[in-house]
Amino acid sequence: MTAALVTDPFPAPPDRPVLHTSNTAQTWAMSKRAILAMWRQPSLVIPSMVFPLFFIALGTSAFSRAINVPGFPEVDSYLDFALAGAVVQGVLFGSVTGATALATDVENGFFDRLLASPSTRSGIIVGRLAGGMAYGAFQTTFFMAVLLPFGLEIKGGPVGALALIASGTLLALAVGAIMSTMAIRTGSSEAVQGAFPLLFIALFFSSAFFPRATMSGFYATMADYNPISYLVEGMRDLVIGGLTVWALLRAILLPALMAVGGVALALRSLNKRLAAS
Amino acid sequence: MSVEAPLPLAPTHELNTVSPSIRVASFGLAKRNVRGIRRLPSAFLPSLVMPVFQAIAFSGSFFAITQIPGFPTDRSINWFMPLAILMGSGFAGVGIGLAAIRDIETGFYDRLRLTPAPRTSLITGPLLGALGRSFVVTTLVMTVGVLLGARWNHGVLSVVPLYVAGLGIAAAGTGWGLGLAYRFRDMRAAALMQLTLFIGLFLSEAQTPLYVMEGWLHTVARVNPFTNILRLARQGWVGEITWENTWGGVVALVVISTLTMWFARRGLDKLGD
Amino acid sequence: MARGLERHFGSGDDVVKAVDGVDLHVEPGEIFGFLGPNGAGKSTTVRMLTTLLRPTGGSARVAGFDVVHESDDVRRNIGVALQDAAIDPLMTGAELLQLQAVLYGLPKSRHRERAQELLERVGLTAAADRRVGTYSGGMRRRLDLALSLIHEPSVLFLDEPTTGLDPMSRISLWEEIRRLNNDGTTVLLTTQYLEEADQLAERIAIIDNGKIVRRGRPTELKAEVGSPTLFVAVPAEMHDTASTVLLQFGELRPSSEGTLGVGLSDGPGAVSVVIRRLDEAGVHVRNLELHEPSLDDVFAEATGHRLEGAGDGSQSETVAP
Repeated sequence: MTAALVTDPFPAPPDRPVLHTSNTAQTWAMSKRAILAMWRQPSLVIPSMVFPLFFIALGTSAFSRAINVPGFPEVDSYLDFALAGAVVQGVLFGSVTGATALATDVENGFFDRLLASPSTRSGIIVGRLAGGMAYGAFQTTFFMAVLLPFGLEIKGGPVGALALIASGTLLALAVGAIMSTMAIRTGSSEAVQGAFPLLFIALFFSSAFFPRATMSGFYATMADYNPISYLVEGMRDLVIGGLTVWALLRAILLPALMAVGGVALALRSLNKRLAAS
Repeated sequence: MSVEAPLPLAPTHELNTVSPSIRVASFGLAKRNVRGIRRLPSAFLPSLVMPVFQAIAFSGSFFAITQIPGFPTDRSINWFMPLAILMGSGFAGVGIGLAAIRDIETGFYDRLRLTPAPRTSLITGPLLGALGRSFVVTTLVMTVGVLLGARWNHGVLSVVPLYVAGLGIAAAGTGWGLGLAYRFRDMRAAALMQLTLFIGLFLSEAQTPLYVMEGWLHTVARVNPFTNILRLARQGWVGEITWENTWGGVVALVVISTLTMWFARRGLDKLGD
Repeated sequence: MARGLERHFGSGDDVVKAVDGVDLHVEPGEIFGFLGPNGAGKSTTVRMLTTLLRPTGGSARVAGFDVVHESDDVRRNIGVALQDAAIDPLMTGAELLQLQAVLYGLPKSRHRERAQELLERVGLTAAADRRVGTYSGGMRRRLDLALSLIHEPSVLFLDEPTTGLDPMSRISLWEEIRRLNNDGTTVLLTTQYLEEADQLAERIAIIDNGKIVRRGRPTELKAEVGSPTLFVAVPAEMHDTASTVLLQFGELRPSSEGTLGVGLSDGPGAVSVVIRRLDEAGVHVRNLELHEPSLDDVFAEATGHRLEGAGDGSQSETVAP
């Protein structure tokens, strides 16, 4: 573990702003640490990669006739329909890992040590979030790559695919930021892990797996109010509808807004903690 | 190294000649098991909430499948409620395995093995606990299901196959969980237990009936005994209670439970190796 | 009574003989001490004698019953308190005793009475209805002892009963063990503390690397070693000179870093002569201590190294779970 982060390895000449260089270097180090941590724990990574793919595999076979039901959009197969939901699922579940690790850092005091050094202050959060974003991008790309041989067709073309990756990355940032806020505020990895079922529930009460038009009653109402529905639909339209402004807006703008809000929250809680210590 | 000549041991205490019966020991262990679960809210509450949530979420999210021509019911809650109950019961069984791992890791299992309680009771005791939990989960989810619109089509008799299937799965889960716990003796077994249960239950008629499936899933689900068990559980809510729907599930439950119980017993014997 | 007890782990080239041909004979009504360093094979032997582990070779009879073929009978008549107090943190002390009573087949009418007796005996009556997870380490040990006595066993096994306890608790536990023994209970206790073996045990066996190296009464064993040991602390560069001098007085004995030990074959009176000779040889003596023969000497003589008696006890032996 790169513990010697507090000293600046590249002392800059006096006329250059020292902070800038060291910030980047530290942030890079933090990101690397975050990514390595994930890589070394396959048991945490598998649920966020294997499960969504497993469900898609199941669904493609089980719901092959369901796609002809009234209310279902025009699709060649459930696979095209479900990709968006799988990406969102994977990113949501994957973001818990990074936040849990952050909460553990807070728990065992490592976090406060990093706070002590000005050059690492924002680096902590940014590093974790950067790690999460990298993972989100990786997940989206991985899912698409794995499913292409099985007949996945992205109507939005290569640009659509890139937009999807951007969407996944931004979502990872958004959820990562919100969970990080929680990690810093509660300082308990158990509390953060407790959020996992809540994410699970939020994911289900949306159109992640089936169109809202096929739902009924209060369930449909809940899905209508759930922002995840619109996010998934935006991403989905890139796959089954093609490259449209409306699709891009939902797929990119929504998570971007969430990300801005989330990061703001995270930074605020970071500053609060700083003020307190 | 000298070998001493054997001397008869003159007891200064009266020798004990009593062992508890399997029944008494089992109840004692079951009581402890139930107490333990109640006192661990982080394990207890989710085990009740998740099946309820699953029933709601699946029947709401996948409502569309009721529109597929030929679907055996028009209420998705009727279709998914039994699935949620079986998942909950299965996890109640697997929970026994988790508790056993905890005991092994703390050393408490040594204490249990040191007693003259019959080895079988070390399995049947917790099994009773799991069956009790299954009963509670089934009742709870069924109540919620009915509140959400589930309707039986065979009167009160409809609940019987559902309880039977739940209890059977709980027993199978217990045997499987304990067997894995004894083999691995640490928390690695936990993930394995949950994963196998999950996959076993889902690669079946969990989400859709056989006739709707295509390709590999159809092939797997056809031979998966869980398909029979689901059919057993669902009759009375989806379709009629018939002998045809019943016997397959019962046979599957009996066979799987027997196998997993044997697996557990063997594992228990091997703990001393 | 164990004969040729063996326990190895692994197979082929990887065989680890945790217990290698151990013979033991414990008389009824005595306190027997099983002494040895961490990893010597004490706990493994105890696990075999208490039916928790199957021996890979040899046989053993406890309370008159074979541990492998009549294991139920053995279990009915032994009480065991292992190295780590084996408890369930979610239960209360009273509930655990109750469970033990059930699992040992005590008649229902006796359950409460017996539990009360034992709680009083170990001083846990006040804490009986609290969850065991809230107990201190010492309290857990005491509960563990109570749990092992619920059925009035004729043989009691204690595996390192006082490791990690403060001196007060240690002494009170020793008293309890003596009391139990006076009531007629045979006690086999394992320990890494010489003082404990010395104080409590009527006979001991010393085990090292899976083999028994000495057995008998502590006083006899110490007498065999015979002469007192003189330890002198000398600077490293003077070691050879000092050794030559000391050898005139008896054989050299193992000692710790920076010191030399010699067995004074002419008795403690020779000390003054030793000092004078060392002085004449120009050896600068930093410190010197005279020890009457102790079990540590017995151990050192038998195995070639000293028993690290005051070990922290937190190292566990490699025992199969």
